[in-house]
Amino acid sequence: MPAVLGFEGSANKIGVGVVRDGKVLANPRRTYVTPPGTGFLPGDTARHHRAVILDLLQEALTEAGLTSEDIDCIAYTKGPGMGAPLVSVAVVARTVAQLWNKPLLGVNHCIGHIEMGRLITGATNPTVLYVSGGNTQVIAYSEHRYRIFGETIDIAVGNCLDRFARVLKISNDPSPGYNIEQMAKRGKKLVELPYTVKGMDVSFSGILSFIEETVFAMLVEITERAMAHCGSQEALIVGGVGCNVRLQEMMETMCQERGARLFATDERFCIDNGAMIAQAGWEMFQAGHRTPLSESGITQRYRTDEVEVTWRD
Amino acid sequence: MQASGGGAGGAEDRDDQQSSRIPACQSGSGSAEGEAVRRAPQGRGGPGRGRAVMEAAVARPQGDTLRVPFQSPLEADMARRSLLPDAQRHQGLIRKEFAVNGSDLLVRWTADDLAFIRLSMNPFLDQLSLVIRNIRSLGLPPRQSRS
Repeated sequence: MPAVLGFEGSANKIGVGVVRDGKVLANPRRTYVTPPGTGFLPGDTARHHRAVILDLLQEALTEAGLTSEDIDCIAYTKGPGMGAPLVSVAVVARTVAQLWNKPLLGVNHCIGHIEMGRLITGATNPTVLYVSGGNTQVIAYSEHRYRIFGETIDIAVGNCLDRFARVLKISNDPSPGYNIEQMAKRGKKLVELPYTVKGMDVSFSGILSFIEETVFAMLVEITERAMAHCGSQEALIVGGVGCNVRLQEMMETMCQERGARLFATDERFCIDNGAMIAQAGWEMFQAGHRTPLSESGITQRYRTDEVEVTWRD
Repeated sequence: MQASGGGAGGAEDRDDQQSSRIPACQSGSGSAEGEAVRRAPQGRGGPGRGRAVMEAAVARPQGDTLRVPFQSPLEADMARRSLLPDAQRHQGLIRKEFAVNGSDLLVRWTADDLAFIRLSMNPFLDQLSLVIRNIRSLGLPPRQSRS
């Protein structure tokens, strides 16, 4: 019955989670929120993470009701992500692993999302749409690799939404994407051209509805194409943008038309969190993976298909 | 430490910044290397003076060493093993070497440009501070701390 401690901090969320045998025992998280009109920079984000990570560690252990002796493995995000924040979390994982004399496991952040999605939803072998501020990929499992069927050729869809929010100075609390979604819900008129002026007033919600409809439709199309290619009857959405209800609706429509099933998780698990790293770490630990300290360096670029997924058939 | 033509800022600036940023650690003190770095380079002040400083600097080894005292050799080595894996990230521009001497962690920077060392030192000290706080907050298990 191994219990795995997971550290995640590759972007502006810092989380520490504990997972044991398919149960999430703790998953506290903090988000670094910057003022409207600004984004988060690596140095400041790392500073934020360093200030709270040790408290989060204690919170996680307390919430799980465990001590260091009950933990069997320390998992952390090896990459991909922003350099300084990744390093800030990795040094703590290494130090804790040494202090408690436990094995260390470097986890791929994207695989963390996938494994948590599989755990929480029970989907057996879904085509995965992974959409967040940092990543946009369509992934299908085949022969011990999470194969990338499609991805963004430039920026992630969440990045597109975040930058748009920045231009309009929409609040980043709790996240720019969440606030875009709330405003877009109030948009009553979907306009082809995003230019809405009423007398002396302007309306921006139409623009946001336009943005959402267009980018989400693009994602639905590439997911559908991957599902057709694989003959897949399941789709799973992971990543922060997966919280968006409109995206889920559009994906659901597509799935129903194909007779397929859609899976999604709530904001606890689709947004970056420590437990997802712990869960992927648990699978890897059971399969015998270990990361020696000397090979535990972080890497900003770490493709999902670089990992040999030995824990699946 | 090689002084580039325009200089990388006055030595006085660097000293002030150093002393305010490193309360608990010593930077290369007592070593010839440390002395050389603190004096060099002063890009301003006229060509004659600059050239003399450059000659003095070139005559000594390049680099800057930080000495961080820990409670025990075990702790110092623990910190080294936590910080080393990510130290190679910017290998092209700057080199960081780690060593443990007794209970001290030694970190040596080597670069062609003083500015790179300054840019590397600040984030490194932040990460080091986190490792120190981590060790203190969790504490060494009784059998480990007995060494």
